Amino acid sequence: MDPPRAQQRTFRRNAHVAYFQRCLRALPTAAQGHDPNRITIAYFCLSALDLLGALDDHVALEQRQSWADWIWSLQSPSGGFRGSPYMTTLDDHTSPPHLPSTYTALMTLAVLRAPLDRLNVPGLISFISSCQCPDGSFSPLPAADEYISAGFQNDVRMSYCANVVADVIDAGLPTQTQTDFIARCKTWEGGYASRPGVIESQGGTTYCSVAALSMMGTIPEEPAASIRWLLQRQIGGFQGRPGKLEDVCYSFWCGAAITILGHAGLINAEADRAFLLAAQSPLGGFGKEPDDYPDPFHSYLALAALALSHQDGGLKQLDPRWNVSRETANWLREEMIRVA
Amino acid sequence: MSSYIPLSHREQWADITPIPQDDGPDPLVPIMYSTEYRDAMDHFRAISLAKEHSERALELTEAIIRMNPAHYTVWQFRMATLLALNKDLETELELMNEFARENLKSYQVWHHRLLLLTEISPQSPSKEIDYIHDSLLPDPKNYHTWAYLHWLYSHFSSLGRISEADWDREVRWCEEMLRTDGRNNSAWGWRWFLMMSRPGGKGTQDGGKGEITYALKAIHLIPHNVSAWNYLRGILTHFKLPLAPLSPAVVPYTEGSTAFAPVDSSSFDFPLPSVPLPAHTPLPVPLALEFQADALAEQRRTGEASAIFAELSQQFDRMRAGYWEYRRRACE
Repeated sequence: MDPPRAQQRTFRRNAHVAYFQRCLRALPTAAQGHDPNRITIAYFCLSALDLLGALDDHVALEQRQSWADWIWSLQSPSGGFRGSPYMTTLDDHTSPPHLPSTYTALMTLAVLRAPLDRLNVPGLISFISSCQCPDGSFSPLPAADEYISAGFQNDVRMSYCANVVADVIDAGLPTQTQTDFIARCKTWEGGYASRPGVIESQGGTTYCSVAALSMMGTIPEEPAASIRWLLQRQIGGFQGRPGKLEDVCYSFWCGAAITILGHAGLINAEADRAFLLAAQSPLGGFGKEPDDYPDPFHSYLALAALALSHQDGGLKQLDPRWNVSRETANWLREEMIRVA
Repeated sequence: MSSYIPLSHREQWADITPIPQDDGPDPLVPIMYSTEYRDAMDHFRAISLAKEHSERALELTEAIIRMNPAHYTVWQFRMATLLALNKDLETELELMNEFARENLKSYQVWHHRLLLLTEISPQSPSKEIDYIHDSLLPDPKNYHTWAYLHWLYSHFSSLGRISEADWDREVRWCEEMLRTDGRNNSAWGWRWFLMMSRPGGKGTQDGGKGEITYALKAIHLIPHNVSAWNYLRGILTHFKLPLAPLSPAVVPYTEGSTAFAPVDSSSFDFPLPSVPLPAHTPLPVPLALEFQADALAEQRRTGEASAIFAELSQQFDRMRAGYWEYRRRACE
């Protein structure tokens, strides 16, 4: 018998299709912690099926329409989306829209090819504007709703989500304070930390910073230092920080940041791919590392990382900024023109 | 069978009409909620809509957070309730000590803690600092914990409640962390904050000499330590210092390579290590070769620099072959 690792050299497409379909139908009690962010789990699963080219064949049109209806039920009356129906009230105060959920809801609607006539664009613009703070950062919930605005949660992940939404709807947010805020997140290492002064660069926050800057049409200062730091993270797959273990999600965060900076060709794609394939679960999906249990987050980002290098037949090309297939990104751009 | 008694069967909750979750006819990623969680959320929806900031709201939010520490709406309601009832926030902080041990990776736990400290606003944050130091021991690279420690010092120093003696004590604690694990990148980042980026940081006062010496010593203890090399380069970049003058300190780590060393070392005035390299150190150290190549490139000795990049690409750091080849081509 082959050792387990040797069985993981092929891309298990069918197992992945089945895995994401299972997650869409039901998540176990152990996933209760994700209750407020169900739309994001749905985005991982549906965008994965899109990248796998499996949506049309495996999900009936009526099913896609009725899932889109569920997402529309999350749209807040004043604009933006909630993460799940867990508040079940139309009162914006008890159930405010949430910035990361708004990003993933918009992408998921696009993946489902849901007509966007129902998208409250003016409300969406006023929602993201209400999340923007004077220092250029964004809060996950409308800033006025925060009982004490300490800003700890206003990190570059929020800047990223706000910029994707702004990019899609052409919101024209003020950018100078934003780019200043992100520049202040750059550390002595060359990558970006979560917030200004926070002590250490990290793969995910570096991706969010680089992608947000790129969507604002600016080039990060001293990109050579960032490229050096990002490529230094490759140890087979990628680690998120020096001295940490490889984790499939960093193949996406670091790989996509390198791609946005224009240097995808510098990645050791063979070593990265070997690590990603070894992290496949026999039942489909990916763990964060080999022999780990799969979850939708790591499973999607591993697929996205494979799609970045276009090496696997059957995976669509990825838009590294919006993190959906290029096909979906193109559809979304045209749809926004149609409903404008 | 569960022995769970539904809230609606308890006298305390008898007056509340629970609001079930409306998930519509065809929900995405439905979660198989436990009975306890569903019941608690049905009641939470009701009291949240009624804006009921009460003792039982505190009990309920605690129960939910224990089942789902990421529930930001519930945390938010809990904080508002604590403030509305004028509760003793020290008691809440003790509860958080217990929570944090089990939920170190939850953003919400740290955010709640931060709000509590802001409200309590102690004259000295030393008790909280000790607590954070202790919680880093079992998990010394936890990003949230370090980000919180950074907030703690920034916030209380802006209130003028961190003395110079406090800063010195923190530097010694950080050095102890690095003695325990010289590869702890978070501790290196913390050192950067303490010495370089905080207002009055002592590393900024001597043109970089002290920090360069510190980094060179750390490199000699663990020659393949990425963090220490990055720190060294960070200091040089910060002070806009050239790399070449440090070359004599770097040469011992390039053994096995045919690399030329940059010759301009006239201004080198750092003590060379008095002890030999740790036994069995694989040589050359790619990070040292990169340093020498960058030093040569800086002096426009591009041929020699490109030879080193070629060695890295073809022999000493094959993982990054593409990157080193790109650096080599950039020399031409």
